Amino acid sequence: MVQVKIYGVARLKAGVGTFTREASTADELLGMIPNITKKEAKDLVLLVNGKPAGRHTRLKDGDEVVLLAPAGGG
Amino acid sequence: MSSRYGGYMGKVLKINLTTQEVSEYPFSDEERKLYIGGKMMAAKILGDHLKGTESPFSEENLLVITTGPLTGSGAPSSSRFNISTLSPQTGYITSSNCGGHFGYYLKKAGLDALVLTGRCEKPAWIEIQNEKVVFHDAEDIWGMKTSETQAALDDKLRMKNGRVRKNGKICIGPAGENLVLYSCIVSNERVSGRGGTGAVMGWMRLKAVCASGNREVPVHDKEKMVKHTQKWFRYLRKHPLTGNQLPKLGTAGLVSAMQMKHILSTKNYTYGQYDEFEKVSGEELAEKYNIVNKGCLTCPIRCARTVEVDGQQVKGPELETLVLLGSGILNSDLPSILRWNYELDELGMDTISCANTISYAMEANEKGLWDNGLQFSRTEELSRIFEDIAYRRGIGDELALGSRRLSEKYGGKEFAIHAKGMELAAYEPRKAVGLGLGYATSNRGGCHLNGGYLVILEGLGLSIDQTTYHGKADLTMLFQDLMEMISASGQCLFTSYAFFPTPLMNHPNAWYTKMINKVLPYCGAVVRLINKYPEIAHMHLPVFHHTKGFEYTTGMKMKFGDYIRCGERGYNLERQINRRFGVDADRDTLPGRLTRTLQDPKDPKSKVPLEKMKKVYYHARGWDRNGLPTERTLRKLKISSGVPSEVK
Repeated sequence: MVQVKIYGVARLKAGVGTFTREASTADELLGMIPNITKKEAKDLVLLVNGKPAGRHTRLKDGDEVVLLAPAGGG
Repeated sequence: MSSRYGGYMGKVLKINLTTQEVSEYPFSDEERKLYIGGKMMAAKILGDHLKGTESPFSEENLLVITTGPLTGSGAPSSSRFNISTLSPQTGYITSSNCGGHFGYYLKKAGLDALVLTGRCEKPAWIEIQNEKVVFHDAEDIWGMKTSETQAALDDKLRMKNGRVRKNGKICIGPAGENLVLYSCIVSNERVSGRGGTGAVMGWMRLKAVCASGNREVPVHDKEKMVKHTQKWFRYLRKHPLTGNQLPKLGTAGLVSAMQMKHILSTKNYTYGQYDEFEKVSGEELAEKYNIVNKGCLTCPIRCARTVEVDGQQVKGPELETLVLLGSGILNSDLPSILRWNYELDELGMDTISCANTISYAMEANEKGLWDNGLQFSRTEELSRIFEDIAYRRGIGDELALGSRRLSEKYGGKEFAIHAKGMELAAYEPRKAVGLGLGYATSNRGGCHLNGGYLVILEGLGLSIDQTTYHGKADLTMLFQDLMEMISASGQCLFTSYAFFPTPLMNHPNAWYTKMINKVLPYCGAVVRLINKYPEIAHMHLPVFHHTKGFEYTTGMKMKFGDYIRCGERGYNLERQINRRFGVDADRDTLPGRLTRTLQDPKDPKSKVPLEKMKKVYYHARGWDRNGLPTERTLRKLKISSGVPSEVK
C-alpha cells in the first residue's frame, strides 16, 4: 500500500487530504485520485518519499507520495 | 499644481504637525515621470530632505504617505498606498505598502500624497476632506486599540443624517503610541506592517488620518483603459495563482509547498521543515476556520481570509504570521494563531518582526544567554507577552526593541534572524538562496518582496535549482526592479504573479516547464542584458498587463523596458539615500546561521552563498565592490549623487 497526501488547491478538489492505494507506478496511482482525472493529476508536482519523482517512478509498499500544484504569493 | 498626466490628482500636501501649517509640496511632472508614485515618489521626497544625520524619532524625519497613478484608477488590485520614513528598526529608509481603502480615499480627497513633519504638541488626528485639512484633538482616542479607534473615528465622521461619511483611514494602536520599534499602521483590517512606521507616527503624536472627498481620478484614455481593465481582470481570474490558489487558500496555501521544498522556517530558522505543518497549513485554515474570502477595492484576487475569534468575524492570518507563530516557535495550535493575529493587529504590531523577536528570545533562553522564561512550544503566556510589548511592561519593554538590539545585548547574533535590523519573512533561505540574496540586499531590510521574491522560481511557482548561485544575482535584480515599479504605480505586488505564463503553472511536468527550470539559472547573461539594456524590451508583453494599463491611465509611454528602468531608478534611489546613513556591502548581510550553518548536514550546498552572489549582484547593478552605486550608474538613472543642500 502507498500512502498518498494531496496539498494545495488539488486537495480542495479531491475533497480528501490523505488516503492509501495499491499501485506499482506513479502513473498508475495518478488514475486513482478521487474527483481528479488522470489528465489533471498529471499536472501536479509529484514527490515520492520527499524527493521529486516522475510518472514512471516505481512505487513500493510503504512509500509516501505527495501531490501538489505550483503556488505563489506571500 | 496640477498634472498634465492622467492618474494624478496633481497635489501633494506638506503638513507640519508642530505648527499645524499646511502647504502645497511642489512635485513637478518631470519628477512624476522619473519617480512615478508610491515608494519611489516617497524616496524622492525623503532623499530631498535627509542628509544622513537624522534620527527616526526627531523633527527632521518625515512620514511620507503616497499613492500611485493607478491607485483608484479602476485597474485590478489598485487601491494601494505606501508609507515611507526613516525606520526606527533599521535606521535606514523603509517603505511599507498597504491595501484597503485609504489610498483610494486620499485620491478622492484630491491628493496624491501627504508629507508629514514635526510633532503634535498633544495627541491629534487629522481629517482631510477635498484637500482641506483639519486638526482634531485625539486625547479621547489615544490609548485605544486599532478597531476601537476606527469605530470612534467613524462616529466622529457621522453626518447630520446619521450616516458615516465614506472615508479611508489609517491609525496606530498602543504599540505605536509606546514606540515599539516594529509597530505598524493599520487601515481598516489591512496593515502597513513593516519597518516600524507606526512608531514614527506615534512619536509624532498622530493617532490617525481620515481622508474623504468626491474628486475623480483622471484617466488619460478612459475608453481604452476600461477595455484593458476588463481583459486584465479576466486574465487574473483565469491564472492558476491569482485566480485559483490565492482566492481559495490565500497566502496561507503556501505552507505545505514550503514544507515540501524545505523552506518553511522552523524553530527560529533552525530547520526548513516542521513535522506538524499540516495543523497550521492553509488547507486546514480553509477547511475548518475560513468563513469568507475578502479582497481590497477593485481586487479580483481576494486573498484575505475571515475567521472567527471570540464570536466575532476578524481578519485571518497571512502566511507569514501563520508560519512564524506556528512552525517558527514550534506551535501547532492554529486557533491560537488566529487569536494572536487579531490581537497583534489590535495592538498595532508587525506580526513578522514580533514573532521573530519572540523566537529569538526563546532560543536565547534555551541556550542560557537570557533568562526570560520564554520556551519553544510553550505558548500559554504569549497573549500577555504581546500586551506587555505594546505597553512596554516588564520583559515586553525589551522585546519591543527587536531581535537585532537584543542580540547585541544578550548575544546570539548568529541566530538573531534579521537583515539591516528588520526581521526576515517566513521563507527559510538556505534552500532558496536567491531569496537569501534578496533579503540581504533589500533596501528596507529582511523583506522577501522588496528582496525580489525569487522563491517563486526556487520551488514555489517554478522549480529551478534552489541552492545554486548561478543566475540568482541577475534574476534578483530583475525581480526587485519589477516589483519596485508595480508598487510605485499603486498596484498590489500579487498581480505580478500572473507574469508567469499560465502553461508553466498548469503543466509543471511538461517538457517546456522542465526545460525552463533547468536552463533558467544559466541564463544569467541574457537576464543581465535585459537588466543592462532594458530598452531592448521596447514592447508590451502579453502576460504583463501593467505597462499598457500604465500608459492608458497616465498617458506616459511605458514599454516593458521603460518599466524595468523606472524600477531600477527607484531601487538605486533608496540605496543612495541609505548610503548617507552608512549602508554599504558590510550591511548587506544575513545572520551566521543562514550563511555558515548547513540546513541539511548531508547537503554542502544548503546554506546561502551570500558573498559569491553579492559580487555578481553588485556588478550587475552597476555598483562598486563596496555595494555603492557608481557615478556612472547614478548618471544613467538621472539620480543626483549629492546630499540635499537645502530643504524643499
